[in-house]
Amino acid sequence: MAETGGQGARALALQSLSKSFGNGAPAVDNVSLRIEEGEFFSLLGPSGCGKTTTLRMVAGFEAPDSGQIRLGAQDITPLPPERRDMGMVFQNYALFPHRTIAENVAFGLRMRKVPKPEIATRVREALALVRLTGFEDRRPAQLSGGQQQRVALARAIVINPAVLLCDEPLGALDKKLRQQMQFELKTLHRRLGLTMIYVTHDQEEALTMSDRIAVMRAGKVAQCGAPREIYDRPVDRFVADFIGDTNILDGEASGLALLMPGGWRLPLPEARQGRASVALRPERVRLCPPGAGLVDATVEEANFLGDSVLLKLSLPGEQGMLARVPRHAEAGSLEPGATLGLTWQADDPVMLADA
Amino acid sequence: MAAVTAHGAPTLPRSSAWLLLTPALAMFILFFAVPFLTMATMSVLSGNPMVVPNPRFTTRHFERILDDVYYLETLWITVRLGLSTTIVSLLIGYPLALWLARARSRTTRTLLMMAVLAPMMMGLVVRTYAWLAMYSNRGVINGSLAWLGLTDEPIQFLGSEAAVVVALAHIYVPFMILTLSGVIARIDTRLEEAARGLGASSAAAFLQVTLPLSMPGILAGSLLVFALAISAYVTPIVIGNYNIQTLPMLVYQQISSSFNLGFAAALGIVLLIVALLLVGAYNRVMARAPGAA
Repeated sequence: MAETGGQGARALALQSLSKSFGNGAPAVDNVSLRIEEGEFFSLLGPSGCGKTTTLRMVAGFEAPDSGQIRLGAQDITPLPPERRDMGMVFQNYALFPHRTIAENVAFGLRMRKVPKPEIATRVREALALVRLTGFEDRRPAQLSGGQQQRVALARAIVINPAVLLCDEPLGALDKKLRQQMQFELKTLHRRLGLTMIYVTHDQEEALTMSDRIAVMRAGKVAQCGAPREIYDRPVDRFVADFIGDTNILDGEASGLALLMPGGWRLPLPEARQGRASVALRPERVRLCPPGAGLVDATVEEANFLGDSVLLKLSLPGEQGMLARVPRHAEAGSLEPGATLGLTWQADDPVMLADA
Repeated sequence: MAAVTAHGAPTLPRSSAWLLLTPALAMFILFFAVPFLTMATMSVLSGNPMVVPNPRFTTRHFERILDDVYYLETLWITVRLGLSTTIVSLLIGYPLALWLARARSRTTRTLLMMAVLAPMMMGLVVRTYAWLAMYSNRGVINGSLAWLGLTDEPIQFLGSEAAVVVALAHIYVPFMILTLSGVIARIDTRLEEAARGLGASSAAAFLQVTLPLSMPGILAGSLLVFALAISAYVTPIVIGNYNIQTLPMLVYQQISSSFNLGFAAALGIVLLIVALLLVGAYNRVMARAPGAA
């Protein structure tokens, strides 16, 4: 690869990475990803899917059994962590409890033998960046969780890493603080042009923050793409189910229609034969008078969500379905027991690879 | 030593809390406070009140210790043995404790733990005599040296201070390892990883993070070994071959051959005071070390 400067000069490429612990199934199984310079890239998946192991291999804390990690043109696989030029933010922050906040932030610079006056300046700037000016002489234990996380962030970015690695950095924070930190991280990412790999099991977090997401399952990448793409076009049952609420409908396909167990026909976006499954997001479902839609349903439960109403519906053939509708839509008919017609656009259902 | 804080302890009425403490308190009074006060009293009395009807208050036992350079020298040898033993135990014990605390495999940990604990189950006298056999003129060490042609005649290990320190360190190093590994195991390995990620070599990460954070263990282990070593009796006598005099030996002689309980008590008090002063000084130095929380 002839990469000289400009876009992609410091892109991170994982090539066929595999890693097993003991004799069990591989923790990471032949994972290949390319993270562009300046990209906010998330590894998303349930616990045990291999996302943290992948991150730890990039950081150099675990050696892959096979495969390669390249940063730009350089193969960094054999390098120890201290020579990889990565910044890491841990879920439990991993601040040095015996050092002050300023000393924590200065650590990476000291290890790089940066001259003292420059260290002082850069530590001050980094702490200002995470809005912790004035906390220099405190100890980590004297700070709140959110503040500690900001120190961890300052400590990681002060060394200007080629890639910033975040291992569920907001996992230990409460919801409100987490949301605030999400904004701050996003702002930092944009301002500093950081390349980031962000490990999370929180799909909402991944959707709101990332440029691209790799959804992982059992050590493999199930799907990799932009948040919209992952949300709108999940490739299989696992991704569809893991990201947001979804209805998965199984039936017998015949051309452009899916024959449902309840005896109704669901129009398909593309022709198929045999067993097939589609995913349909609850917010795609629209209400209409009974008999006027694709299928009639009975309301079982109507949950008021503030801006919308989440309906638990029962379709013919004992099949359940979720629908999210604006709160004023057909207001009178949303009581349990009411019968409604349901409809959606022909291309709203997404064909799933695993029927 | 280690401060114990009870987080979220259920609240009990004061009186019941005291009741719970009673067994421990009774033990403490019966087996520590009473003997100690008896000893302290004896050290300032002219005679044993059980035998002599009207003992007077006197400071002559302490004066005798301070006047005779022999006793001060013995005290110094005792303290020196304690310090050397502590340092040797720390140097041997720390790497092993680190290994024990950081071993990933359960089997390795179990085997190491057994290796550390097994000698402790043999008893100190047995181990001391094992060292006697090692050190003697026809013992393992001299035999090997002669066989290798490194020495013409046996080296006199017995009776040397170094031999006593080695034997004491061997006997007390498990205390150091157990104390240290407990503390090291509680240090989050992610701290070291964080240091490595920030550009520290594995050596630098150890020196900057793990070592300072294990200071409480170093402190506790050292105090334990020091206290055990300065009060050791059997090992210094047997390995020191009656050539090295320590304070506990003097105390025993005063009791068993001179029947001078008052003087023996005074010697004990002096050893206690010196030990407490050293421990206090050590604590202060360590408290200023970077790792102290």
